[in-house]
Amino acid sequence: MALATAMAYVAGWNYIACALFITFDVVARSLLGFSSAATIEVTGYMLAGGIAWGLAHTLARRAHIRVDVWVNRLPLRLRAVLHLVSLLLLGAFAVFCAWSAAALVDESLLFDAHDNSALRIPLVIPQGIWTFGIIAFCLMITVLALESALSLLLGRPAELDALLGSRTLEDETEEALEAVQMAREGTR
Amino acid sequence: MIAVVFLLLLLAAAVFAAVTGGQTVPVWEILALTGVFLLFFGAGVYIAAVLGLLGILIGLTFSDRPWWAFAGQTLWGPSSNFVLVAVPLFLLMGEILLRAGLSDRLYRALNVWLNRLPGGLLHTNIASCALFSAISGSSVATAATMGSVALPYFRDSAYNQRMVLGSLAAGGALGNLIPPGITFIIYGLITETSVGALYIAALLPSILVTGLFILVILAHGLTHRMDRPPPLPLGMKLRALLGLVPTLLLMLLVLGSIYAGFATPTEAAALGAVGAAVFAAAEGKLTFRLLHASAEATARNTALLGLIIFGAYLLNYLLTTINVPQALAGFIGGMPLPPWAIMACILALYLALGTFMEGFSMIITTVPVVFPIVTALGYDPIWFGVMVTMLVEIAQISPPDGTVMYVLQGMRPKPGPITDVFVGVTPFLAAYLLAVVLMMIWPEIALWLPGVMG
Amino acid sequence: QGLPPGPKVSVVAVTQPLPTQPQYTRVDVPLLREQTAQRSNGRVEVQLSTHAERNLSGTELVRLVRSGQADIAAATLTTLSGDVPILDGVDLAGLAPGIDGAKRIAEAMLPVVNRDLERFGARLMVIYPFPAQVVWCRQPFSGLAELKGRKVRTFGNSLVDFFTALGAQPVSIGFPEVYSALERGVVDCAITGTGSGVAARWPEVTTHVSNLPVSWALAGYMVNIAWWNRLDPQVRSFLEGTFREINDKQWELGAAATRDGLDCATGKAEGCRIHTLATRPITEVPATEADRAALREILEKSVLPGFVKRCGARCGEVFNQVIAPIAGVRAGG
Ligand code: NA
Ligand code: NA
Repeated sequence: MALATAMAYVAGWNYIACALFITFDVVARSLLGFSSAATIEVTGYMLAGGIAWGLAHTLARRAHIRVDVWVNRLPLRLRAVLHLVSLLLLGAFAVFCAWSAAALVDESLLFDAHDNSALRIPLVIPQGIWTFGIIAFCLMITVLALESALSLLLGRPAELDALLGSRTLEDETEEALEAVQMAREGTR
Repeated sequence: MIAVVFLLLLLAAAVFAAVTGGQTVPVWEILALTGVFLLFFGAGVYIAAVLGLLGILIGLTFSDRPWWAFAGQTLWGPSSNFVLVAVPLFLLMGEILLRAGLSDRLYRALNVWLNRLPGGLLHTNIASCALFSAISGSSVATAATMGSVALPYFRDSAYNQRMVLGSLAAGGALGNLIPPGITFIIYGLITETSVGALYIAALLPSILVTGLFILVILAHGLTHRMDRPPPLPLGMKLRALLGLVPTLLLMLLVLGSIYAGFATPTEAAALGAVGAAVFAAAEGKLTFRLLHASAEATARNTALLGLIIFGAYLLNYLLTTINVPQALAGFIGGMPLPPWAIMACILALYLALGTFMEGFSMIITTVPVVFPIVTALGYDPIWFGVMVTMLVEIAQISPPDGTVMYVLQGMRPKPGPITDVFVGVTPFLAAYLLAVVLMMIWPEIALWLPGVMG
Repeated sequence: QGLPPGPKVSVVAVTQPLPTQPQYTRVDVPLLREQTAQRSNGRVEVQLSTHAERNLSGTELVRLVRSGQADIAAATLTTLSGDVPILDGVDLAGLAPGIDGAKRIAEAMLPVVNRDLERFGARLMVIYPFPAQVVWCRQPFSGLAELKGRKVRTFGNSLVDFFTALGAQPVSIGFPEVYSALERGVVDCAITGTGSGVAARWPEVTTHVSNLPVSWALAGYMVNIAWWNRLDPQVRSFLEGTFREINDKQWELGAAATRDGLDCATGKAEGCRIHTLATRPITEVPATEADRAALREILEKSVLPGFVKRCGARCGEVFNQVIAPIAGVRAGG
């Protein structure tokens, strides 16, 4: 869990770095007359890495989108079972993604593939970082699935609901208000 | 839901192919898949998993090729695409502006000028959302930012709470339509149309929609008379304009850099994010904590969209492999209906999907299928991009499911049922739909400006 | 020639970036799809689509063929060079000022690059050209030397080396954004085929186009070897015949389309038959002797060493063995 959070912060700061990098490139091109000639590729890799490294944390924060209008009206016991089923299905998809990503890295190794940018970056590096994020996502799903299965076996469906249920309106509100609070702090 | 729609379309295409080509149709397989997915949705399965697993099942059922051997490339392509880099950058900009309180200053400045009109502060809601939309590319960010700023002003006022919520939701739904916008970037990516041209085309339609919103509020203000606040001296009003400066400068930076030729639309998003941080620093609010919190929120929201992209691209790849879009385009193009009627059906389909679907997933899963039909019918890709964006925005404020409305409901200072938001947004929804009809009758509203400038 | 009756063969082919390109509408559709169906009496059925329709960027085509997703695929060689570096050597900037030279180099290199490609389960059957890659600018210029200091949109390593050596500033922007980048001056110039430039309506946003072919955007049709070897020998020789015809047609089209694109761009209606006539004609900048000399010098001093550096010493040896006798330029001094 802590690792997933740390990975998400890395992903987030990576976007800040990305903004600075592109800004630098635009300024350098317009005013100084040079550009890195690999911005498109490098920032693309930063996006891929950012997406993959944020996946596990997003799941832990229960922020991945589900269609849960019906589920939330069901009795707690049934709802808990359905949460676990949904998680397992997500797990099946995530494992497929991780397997395909690993196969892609393997293929890039076979080709000794480089991109067409001026830096000729070996594709194994960005694709490897990306794959690592997806594998971490799979691990997070496994951990959550084990925890939920345990709660279900012990007859504590409420715990499972808290673990996997979608973010409630209160969660969303709390976050927005926290952000506004931060904005107000400086003024008073 | 969308998966079900896709399967039904698939069924229609297969039946059509059978009628014309005399092949056997796997009707039962398709019906079984549809059933499985109705069940999935009932169980509240993650959208990305539904799309991805549907793709995998379609691949296993209909393709005789080892499609899985290419799946890694199918996922890697969109996740490392430079054009999509704009998405986290716009989100980052919104997070920084929200946390730095720049949006509050914007609201106060506009308020001084607009609060004596019939409808009062409600006009400020629309105007501040419209201005904020001109720097932010996301509707949810616009609604969250301006909503959190505006709602406290209405805490103990005589304003109709429903209209307050409705006007803020409607204002939020300008976020993508007024350039810049994430929807245009994704549409441009899928259809290979120029994002710059889409932005220009969206200018007049966004003025039209904003104008219709103002008319709605005027009508409300004239029928529900309220005491006007005392007039302020002109000097004070002029000084209040200073609050607009950061927003206008950011607008100049983001849109100006595109049209002055310094930056492409994706690069402009990066300039906006850095510019927002610079203004936060000028206000003395650029702390590590602010950046850290903004980074986390950006990472989370990008990952959420990224996972849906994984599912959607896998599904799209398999649908294309078994020739569904082409068959569907041929099928619809061959229907004995005039092009405008087919277009009306497509728009109606978007409206129907929009009542229960989130706009982003809607565009990424449907445009690859619908776009070839649209061009085959002879409609302009730029015009259609603006139309799709308007429909996606409408989806955000059409009950019962709309992210923008949920965000506002979550921020209400005084609790109340979500139906308040639903009722409040309805007149604005009607105005938005009127704009769509006008665009259908006079496509020039979108196409005139690019024609003049290009 | 025809094909005797037998079990049906269903072929998946993914060729050309866009469905509107003449390479697709004038060669692939009539020869690869319609003529094979007709001559084989429906026995060979080719399911044909383009990169755009399959959501592909063009760099991943070797992998597409290798994975068996497509039996036949066509793509430009420079975009594939990330996976198979030697492919870049067939079409270096400045290597072939005329289309005949490009064709001789392509024919000589075909068996050589296949040694590399076959390790990955793919084989090139045909190498063919797109219209000559030429420079388009939004401001007047009379020769290559005047591009110094300008921002030029390029793609691929050898063009980046080429324009850097010219003293221009290479900028990488995705093809769909180049139109507005030229319009607003994000870039001053851009390089693409004469035909692609006209098709993308570049004459609306540029004023001058050079007629000096910097390179040819050579492309190739690949097949999946396992699939190819499994084919009924009669079907295989039938398809070999089709590839031979495609080869001839594509080279013919490459030559015709190069001139046609320039005529369409400059508003010469009588020569503009393949592409659409530009609404705002622009000026053609004729290549000078100085330009040709500069092209050759940069090839020797920058482009070729850059290629050998990326691809390895072995590529330099291959170049000297196969291409040097034709082009008259040697790698490594
Ligand atoms: Na916007
Ligand atoms: Na909706």
